[in-house]
Amino acid sequence: MSIHTDGNAIAGVLEEIFGVEVTATMRVCQSCGQEHAIGAHRLYRGAGLVLRCPNCGDIAAAVATKQDEYRVKLFGTWSEELV
Amino acid sequence: MQVETPHAKTLVLDVPDWPGHLPGQHVDVRLTAEDGYQSERSYSIASAPGTTDLELTVERIDDGEVSPWLTEEAQPGDQFELRGPVGGYFVWDASLEGPVLLVAGGSGLVPLMAILRHHENTGSGADLRLLLSARMLEDVLYRSELERYRDVVHLTLTREQPPPEWNGWSRRIDADMLRDVGPGADQHPHVYVCGPTPFVEEAARLLVELGHLPAAVHTERFGPSGG
Amino acid sequence: MPPISRGFRGRRQTEVDPSRLPPGQYATNDFPVLSAGPTPHTPLDEWSFTLGGAVGEAKSWTWEEFVAMPSEVVTRDIHCVTKWSKFDTEWRGVPVDRLLEGTEPWGKYMVAWCDGGYTTNLPLADVVDGKAWVAYEYAGEPLDPEHGGPARLLVPHLYFWKSAKWVRGINLAEQDEPGFWESYGYHNYGDPWKEQRYWSD
Repeated sequence: MSIHTDGNAIAGVLEEIFGVEVTATMRVCQSCGQEHAIGAHRLYRGAGLVLRCPNCGDIAAAVATKQDEYRVKLFGTWSEELV
Repeated sequence: MQVETPHAKTLVLDVPDWPGHLPGQHVDVRLTAEDGYQSERSYSIASAPGTTDLELTVERIDDGEVSPWLTEEAQPGDQFELRGPVGGYFVWDASLEGPVLLVAGGSGLVPLMAILRHHENTGSGADLRLLLSARMLEDVLYRSELERYRDVVHLTLTREQPPPEWNGWSRRIDADMLRDVGPGADQHPHVYVCGPTPFVEEAARLLVELGHLPAAVHTERFGPSGG
Repeated sequence: MPPISRGFRGRRQTEVDPSRLPPGQYATNDFPVLSAGPTPHTPLDEWSFTLGGAVGEAKSWTWEEFVAMPSEVVTRDIHCVTKWSKFDTEWRGVPVDRLLEGTEPWGKYMVAWCDGGYTTNLPLADVVDGKAWVAYEYAGEPLDPEHGGPARLLVPHLYFWKSAKWVRGINLAEQDEPGFWESYGYHNYGDPWKEQRYWSD
């Protein structure tokens, strides 16, 4: 049986991609306009990783991992305060 | 290696150059077989910051990929890869002001225990409460340690026939239970919910219905069965 | 070289015929459930399958019409890009050849489109001549929603992301258009025997 988890589950992968921790990053959804932390987004595992808005289910990110190379597409507005 | 319950053990790890962590964070564990085959799983850190060793509590999943090796095969001296600590959303620190509500389903207790231990170690005056849902008493992780915190720990057993001497709650969490445990939404607690995905989603839904702001309810979903 | 975890094997199947295992794959007895999104649940009385686009004549079937068509049971090995392979999986489905009969297709490419929004693209040549089915039974039972039921595309000679779950139609076109995973870093064609997993393979 498969069920989704959440952005916390890929905290490590995302940190490797972005170089900073992003589960606390807020994202405004391109479809429904709601704002949620990346850690609260739903994570699905298919061929690659898909992160979806916890409200409307639209895509927030799609990640393909080839050994140590990543292909990432981001959707919506991701805002991070760099301290 | 420490046995917690018939199904779970705590691994005590010596990690060279461990940078320290925040309560609530986890690590990604990767095992490599002799022929190069690899599997990776995430485990929440059970230990509070400040201890020299890193503690991970691992629940053995029947027919699991990684947990059987960690709980039954692994011996002192064995090695595997660890990435972390990771997580910035599902963390609490004693510097945060305000009350804290921890809601745990089964092995979802692990990262919340790190929070509880940190709260205790720092002498934090924050009003902290834990609501733990477990199938049976024997499944309760850290049971004897939780006894020390009995005035802030609330337990509900969900298996159909609780033991006859049990006079606590014996049902799935619901709005009444959450209201009883508190703190109320008007006190703006930081809420942390962890456990199997269906548990977390139901608990989060109930909490928001009780008036807690969605942004104040931090969630960590473990998937179908748990850690 | 990562540290070896002494004694670790994982749950993979160990006694396998290596000639059946594409490069980089491991055999499993499980049937892992992977998905790009939540499982849709379309009621059968609302379900239809449509074959359209670059065809002379588009066709559509209701569920009753679909399962009334002559079908076949096939046994095939399947290979997932996440490295697991499963041997001798048994499916009942309608060959895509049969669905194309009478449609006079003139497009050389197709996109399978699905409930939930998933898509995948294939050359038409890869779904004809007995290479593909729209399957609605697995191991003798109605296909479980988690595995793509009521019906999924079945294209066993390519990585299994091409065997689109919850398929509702096939659209033919003159141009090739990348589908979901093909747009997000996965190989456009996906031959497991050439290990065509990713964009630059």
